Amino acid sequence: MADLRIELAGIKSPNPFWLASAPPTNTGYQVQRAFEAGWGGAVWKTLGDPIINTSSRFAAVHFNGQRVAGFNNIELITDRPLEVNLKEIYETKKRFPDHAVVASLMVEPKREKWHEIVKRVEDVGVDGLELNFGCPHGMAERGMGAASGQQPDLVEAQTYWVKEAATTPVIVKLTPNITDITVVARHAVKGGADAISMINTINSLAGVDIHTWNTIPHVGGQGAHGGYCGPAVKPIALSMVAECARDRGVGVPISGIGGISTWQDVVEFMLMGATGIQVCTAVMHHGFRIVEEMIDGLNNYLDDKGLASVTELTGKSVPKYSNWGDLDLNYKVVARINQDNCINCNKCHIACEDASHQCIDMLTNAQGKAVLQVREEDCVGCNLCSIVCPADGAIDMIALDNGAAPLTWNQRQQLIGNLNHTYSAAEVM
Amino acid sequence: MSAFTEFDQERREINELLEQGYRIVNIEEDLDGARVKFMRSGPVAAVQVLQLLTADARKHVTTVLPGIQRTPEEAVESSV
Ligand SMILES: Cc1cc2nc3c(=O)[nH]c(=O)nc-3n(C[C@H](O)[C@H](O)[C@H](O)COP(=O)(O)O)c2cc1C
Ligand code: SF4
Ligand code: SF4
Repeated sequence: MADLRIELAGIKSPNPFWLASAPPTNTGYQVQRAFEAGWGGAVWKTLGDPIINTSSRFAAVHFNGQRVAGFNNIELITDRPLEVNLKEIYETKKRFPDHAVVASLMVEPKREKWHEIVKRVEDVGVDGLELNFGCPHGMAERGMGAASGQQPDLVEAQTYWVKEAATTPVIVKLTPNITDITVVARHAVKGGADAISMINTINSLAGVDIHTWNTIPHVGGQGAHGGYCGPAVKPIALSMVAECARDRGVGVPISGIGGISTWQDVVEFMLMGATGIQVCTAVMHHGFRIVEEMIDGLNNYLDDKGLASVTELTGKSVPKYSNWGDLDLNYKVVARINQDNCINCNKCHIACEDASHQCIDMLTNAQGKAVLQVREEDCVGCNLCSIVCPADGAIDMIALDNGAAPLTWNQRQQLIGNLNHTYSAAEVM
Repeated sequence: MSAFTEFDQERREINELLEQGYRIVNIEEDLDGARVKFMRSGPVAAVQVLQLLTADARKHVTTVLPGIQRTPEEAVESSV
């Protein structure tokens, strides 16, 4: 069995599975039950001046019979007094000394406010701090959360103030509601962040009830934007993790969050640069025990790959992630239909005909049976047919060797630039 | 006409000029594709221009470039 232990900027944990700061980490009762179930760490529900929540708070987007493709909330930070939370954090840490207990914090962007909360929280023995610069609703209207997380200089200043007072590692949790997350990440690092975590929730409105015309969710007929999370946001979170992981100006460990619900998701985030991960929606949907399957799955995967430690995964796919301009234009794949597995539903033909390059022919074979066949010379290798095909193994995307040397867009533009430069130099001579 | 046939026709035109001793000296790209200037040196310098429309031909024309780059002297000689 592989070693699942991780260390994120000095914070040790028996495995990479942490609960994200959210309803599942609201109380000591919950966090202790989560640790009993197998979770390696927990980021406590964000602490700050206790708030008042609305009812209702949550909504979900279901897709084609699949419940909770995405999850939306307008919940704020903890509504419990700091002292109550601190007492439970202390008790939890005492019962589970080897598990990671991280306190998520959010206060007004004032130096003395940060100093005060850091001191009080560290006194009860947390393993680290996570600064919540990400909550997109409610708290942002009061100048906290995403409102300060969208201003790189404010992220830097607040991180700096926290670092002035902190003795434990500081993780800065970033908002995705920004054009380029690496800018804020770099400022967090400049402020002294020991690690970054991402993503918090994405600005969202789950829906509108077409019968009552109310927003979903609504509070007595009135709605406000919320934060989106769950499986639907995973690709966005993964790309943000990857962008930060490959940015040399960032260069600190990453705790990956956003849409993680299986061990495979965890592997993907780690390959793309995360040292550990955090989960919220999947636990809200299925409960703490999903971690059992995550641990088993990850263990088996590492054994299959012959890896002794989960830490060996971190960042392995980062060098494979670059810019569009560095991709080989001469790399060529084409679709090939495997008649043995094809159920003749025609979905690939319709997709290619209506939305791609019109190169899947409907033919009749010698036995009078309808067959679909790709005209490979016209296929641009877009993958659309294989994406819409409902039959496993019916369409393979095959790489063809066209004999051409690799040529990226950037190399091509350079070649043309050189050629034209030589030409104009010759013309003036 | 299939996309491949369109490309193949443009590729053939490029390759024919190269086989006839022409070399690519200039490529200008704009909204209408790529305007590729070919030159052949000799007692009488000759110029040919192809307007390439297909993406594959615009790619192909640069794939064949490295081997046919010329020195400024050669360009002068043939641009007369
Ligand atoms: C109901 C709810 C409440 C949340 N509260 C907090 C919070 O107090 N502090 C925080 O940093 N993030 C909070 N989050 C964001 C989560 O920690 C996490 O970043 C986000 O949900 C993405 O992860 P997921 O896709 O696994 O849910 C909350 C999310 C939800 C759904
Ligand atoms: S990969 Fe794209 S272009 Fe090729 S057959 Fe499929 S849908 Fe058509
Ligand atoms: S979509 Fe798949 S199963 Fe349907 S016709 Fe095409 S190859 Fe066959």
